[in-house]
Amino acid sequence: MTGNKARILAVDDDVDFLDWVRIVLEAAGHEVVCFSDAENALASITDAPPDLIITDLMMESLDAGFSFARRTKEAGNLCHVPIIIVTAAESRRGFDFRPRTGEDLAAMHVDAFFCKPVDVKALRMKVQELLNRERRATNTGNAT
Amino acid sequence: MNGESIRVLVVDDELGMREGCRKVLAPEGYSVETAADGVAGLELFKDRGDFAIVLVDLNMPLMGGMELIDHLRKLDEDVVIFVITAYAAIDTAVEATRKGAYGYIPKPFTPDELLLPIRQGLERRALTIEARRLREERESRLLEVALERSKSSTIIGCMTDGVLVINRDRQMVLRNAAMTRMMPRCAGLPLSAPMNTLKCPELESLIEETLCTDSGPVIASRELALDKSTYMVNASPVLEPNGLVTGAVVVLRDITALKKLDIAKSMFISMVAHELKSPLAAVVSQLSLILDGTVAGDAQKERHILDRCLLRIDALRTMVSDLLSLTAMETGRFTIKRSALNISEVVSAVLDSYKEKAQDKHITLEMARAPDADKVRVLADRESMMMVFANLVDNAIKYTPDGGQVYLSVECNGVFLKVSVRDTGIGMTAEEKERVFDEFYRVKNEYAVHVPGTGLGLSLVKKLVEMHQGHVSVQSVPGKGSTFCVNLPLTG
Repeated sequence: MTGNKARILAVDDDVDFLDWVRIVLEAAGHEVVCFSDAENALASITDAPPDLIITDLMMESLDAGFSFARRTKEAGNLCHVPIIIVTAAESRRGFDFRPRTGEDLAAMHVDAFFCKPVDVKALRMKVQELLNRERRATNTGNAT
Repeated sequence: MNGESIRVLVVDDELGMREGCRKVLAPEGYSVETAADGVAGLELFKDRGDFAIVLVDLNMPLMGGMELIDHLRKLDEDVVIFVITAYAAIDTAVEATRKGAYGYIPKPFTPDELLLPIRQGLERRALTIEARRLREERESRLLEVALERSKSSTIIGCMTDGVLVINRDRQMVLRNAAMTRMMPRCAGLPLSAPMNTLKCPELESLIEETLCTDSGPVIASRELALDKSTYMVNASPVLEPNGLVTGAVVVLRDITALKKLDIAKSMFISMVAHELKSPLAAVVSQLSLILDGTVAGDAQKERHILDRCLLRIDALRTMVSDLLSLTAMETGRFTIKRSALNISEVVSAVLDSYKEKAQDKHITLEMARAPDADKVRVLADRESMMMVFANLVDNAIKYTPDGGQVYLSVECNGVFLKVSVRDTGIGMTAEEKERVFDEFYRVKNEYAVHVPGTGLGLSLVKKLVEMHQGHVSVQSVPGKGSTFCVNLPLTG
């Protein structure tokens, strides 16, 4: 991460959403790498960890986003990467996926949860907030 | 007493006695027949078995009185037999009564000494007959009741719904076989076991609700999940004429299959909602980029966004109309107007309408039209057939990369007409092939994610073809292409 510019990974099986994320975050000065499935995304980030991940929830399976998040956080070198879930399937078969508390988010192994369609400003602010948090943590980590 | 109808048989070897009896009895209205010995008497009785009274002498030739009494008793249990004999002795009298004689008239006797016992005997006979009639009537009623009971219990036993009857003391008083099947715990419990031995609190509370008289009798219903099945339980009170609740009848109906259908329907609705929501969210997000100025000044990006929005909205529109067709088919409101169609001609028309789309992707779109296929007809609905082949051609073009080929062929195949749509597209794996006709199923890979679609087209194709007694199949090799074959029965 140089200056304010971050490398952001976007995963979604909806190409239009990937386009949208790219336009929104590139306009904010970030670099966006897109994947349409979780497996390929996971394979790519193991070698080159991104600064932040934005992923859809329901892709090839109902909870592909959750398992992708869990596997990312469990990989040693990726555990600190903030993850944002963005989905149109916030509820399914009577089950509401939306987190109510920070604990819910932690249980999902994610740092933020958005329902589609997403407000551009809200997403940019959340991305910035998470990137700042990570930057501070890294600095503190270096100092100690 | 109507003397005319009463017949008396006198069996005595003394002519004087026979005629004496006749003289006494005839004027009283009795109809008298006589016999000189037991054998003749028995013959007469057998011929005309409607004697009410038999007077029997004990000492006679051929057959004595005792033996005759035995025979008569066997023939008629109601006949009143009197012993008349000059040899009056207490032991003979006792033996005669033991054998079934009603009384004993010692010779000689006066007319009254004969008439009085006969009248008593007749009264006794009438009483016996009446008593028997009453007894028989009662027995036949009891039989009716028993039959009625066994009918009811047979009906309850044969019911597919589980029936359980509970009395006011919360004891089980009746349960049928279906009930035992639904709650196997029942099987080991004796009748009159308290209902809490069923160990089913939901059922108990439902019964309590019914038995509770505070708010008046109530009919309570609830769904109950037992083991892997779901039951609709209805409990209704058993009321006495004075309104007092004396128990409850609980009926369990297995609604597992209905429940599964209901869940399937709910899942379908939730799936439809998601399929509608995702593209709508995409369109809203994309348009907001233009409206909030994120892509301001970049005409090319704006154009791209609007193109994509149009594509997504168009796909939504197709999905809604496909959904309407599918539900119309399922509810039987989809009307097909069959006529003898030249399918080659229909396929050719579909092909023409897709020429431009194929050209845009530099795809070769060709059709091989066998001459014999032009001569035969299929009894089918033109619009449905247009829908079937348009869906197949549209799919073939969508899933074939630029520069590929789509071939159509129409040919006779025995009693079927076979239409094949072959492409050099991305193909499918065995697993994808398996599910390709499922509602909302879409192949998802690097190429397919860029293709807008609803996952309803092929399920619509399958339903339409099957409505025409046809069959659709698919062969596919990943990366090489797919071939969809539709076989439709020929007319005549």
